[in-house]
Amino acid sequence: MTAKEKREIVLAQAERDLILASLERDQLAAFKKHDIPRRRLKGPELLVLWSLRIYLLFMLAVVVYQVLHVAK
Amino acid sequence: MPEALTPADSNGPGANSATEVVITHEDVDRGHDRVRVRAARAQSGFFGHARLLWLLLGPGVLVMLGENDGPSMLSYAATGAQFGIGFFLPFVALTFGMAIVVQEMTVRLGSATHRGHAELIFERFGPFWGWFSLMDLGVGNFLTLITEFIAIRAGLGFFGVPPWIAVVCALALLYSALLTHRYWTWERITLAIAVGNLVFVPVALLAHPDWHSVGHAFAAWKPLPGGLSQNTLILMLADIGATVTPWMLFFQQSATVDKGLTRKDIRFGRIDTVLGAVLAAAAAVATILVTSLLYTHHMSAENFQAAEFAEALRPLIGRVGASLFALGIVEAGMVACVTISTSTAYAFGEVARRPHSLNLPIGEGRAFYSILFLCAAVAAAIVLIPSLPLVYVVLLVNVIAVLAMPPALVFLYLLVNDREIMGDLVSPVWANAFALLVVVLLTGAGVLFGLSVIAPHLFARLGGT
Repeated sequence: MTAKEKREIVLAQAERDLILASLERDQLAAFKKHDIPRRRLKGPELLVLWSLRIYLLFMLAVVVYQVLHVAK
Repeated sequence: MPEALTPADSNGPGANSATEVVITHEDVDRGHDRVRVRAARAQSGFFGHARLLWLLLGPGVLVMLGENDGPSMLSYAATGAQFGIGFFLPFVALTFGMAIVVQEMTVRLGSATHRGHAELIFERFGPFWGWFSLMDLGVGNFLTLITEFIAIRAGLGFFGVPPWIAVVCALALLYSALLTHRYWTWERITLAIAVGNLVFVPVALLAHPDWHSVGHAFAAWKPLPGGLSQNTLILMLADIGATVTPWMLFFQQSATVDKGLTRKDIRFGRIDTVLGAVLAAAAAVATILVTSLLYTHHMSAENFQAAEFAEALRPLIGRVGASLFALGIVEAGMVACVTISTSTAYAFGEVARRPHSLNLPIGEGRAFYSILFLCAAVAAAIVLIPSLPLVYVVLLVNVIAVLAMPPALVFLYLLVNDREIMGDLVSPVWANAFALLVVVLLTGAGVLFGLSVIAPHLFARLGGT
């Protein structure tokens, strides 16, 4: 039995109809496996993301330094 | 093998593919919740709207009251005790305004895409950036979870409860809410605990605040007493980190998806978020008002821990007030334990492509529940290590949250302006301008903190003391 089959449950016809009518397509667990298409980040976006990444690493080093300084 | 549904069986929006649609336990629970929402929407008048609000509120209130967590309440308490109300009451109110704008974006994202935040970053921008975001979230969440157990331990310590019993009780409550394996029940139990955050309001009333001074503080917004020192800067960053942090983005979006909100529900999602912010701001302001008594009585509070605040307040607000304050700290830590560990589990499930929903039976959501269980259990165990340095660590956790926020906000900004996934729900210009302003302010505050540590002379030349 596959993992997909294991998760499947038996429902009465009326309840199945009710569930399918109540949920949007993407709300069904079965449809969540589908990928959303990848988006290429542009130059300025990459620049901002890398800058903030470096900022975060640097600032974390500052926090560690501060903790050690206070601990002394 | 059980009979599977085919889309042709349905008049619903699932009817668009030739493949069989597998209906899971998670779908059934969410579907029943949506049936109730649809029935309430069909009702007209005040009671119809009230019922709809009751059914749809949850993620916003939970995220805002969840962020009024142990370190946050300690930050507010330290703020009131060290600086009084003049500058910080309006400042804290402003940070909640910031939180509303940011969190509203996650409501729109979740309702429009039915995907969690981590999942969207991974799929839209690829695993390279996805892992960075997940690492920020995982590390931040784990450190914060430790501080939540510190708060629970300290708060219950006021009543003489030994640390290990406090920690075991907190874990038992966390896991018992999960045993229902139903999002709706979990949400209502957690909301019931979260409303306990308002216990700080009666405590503030017991402190008999001078309402004229409170009104004046909001109207006049006095400058910082003593200028901008490194200590003040840490408290300011901690107060910002008490209202906007990365886990909030991940949690509210995932909870919106798990609850099953759709585009039609966004208006109520916004009301939910604003209501949560108002309740959380009331608790935050109340805490500052209470501990400002220590400031006006010139009692040094630089090294007070959670329970010690309650002890220090006892002569000023009585035993009942001090006990309520300690209980409030316990409650703050408890709710945040639940929401933060859940946000970690959601993000892990989304990225690992494992089932991730509080509607899952334990057997189907083994990976999801295991992560939730493990991160809480390990954080709880760390807190039991003797002589752990607490206060400074607790404040720095909020500072770290602020530092990690700008990269998270940029991803949020990119996603919420992505017309391909958002359609007509992309952010308006004013919301984008505000989001960018928040990024600049948070980054600027972080840079100032960095300068105060590594280049104090330069910090002094910029006006610091």
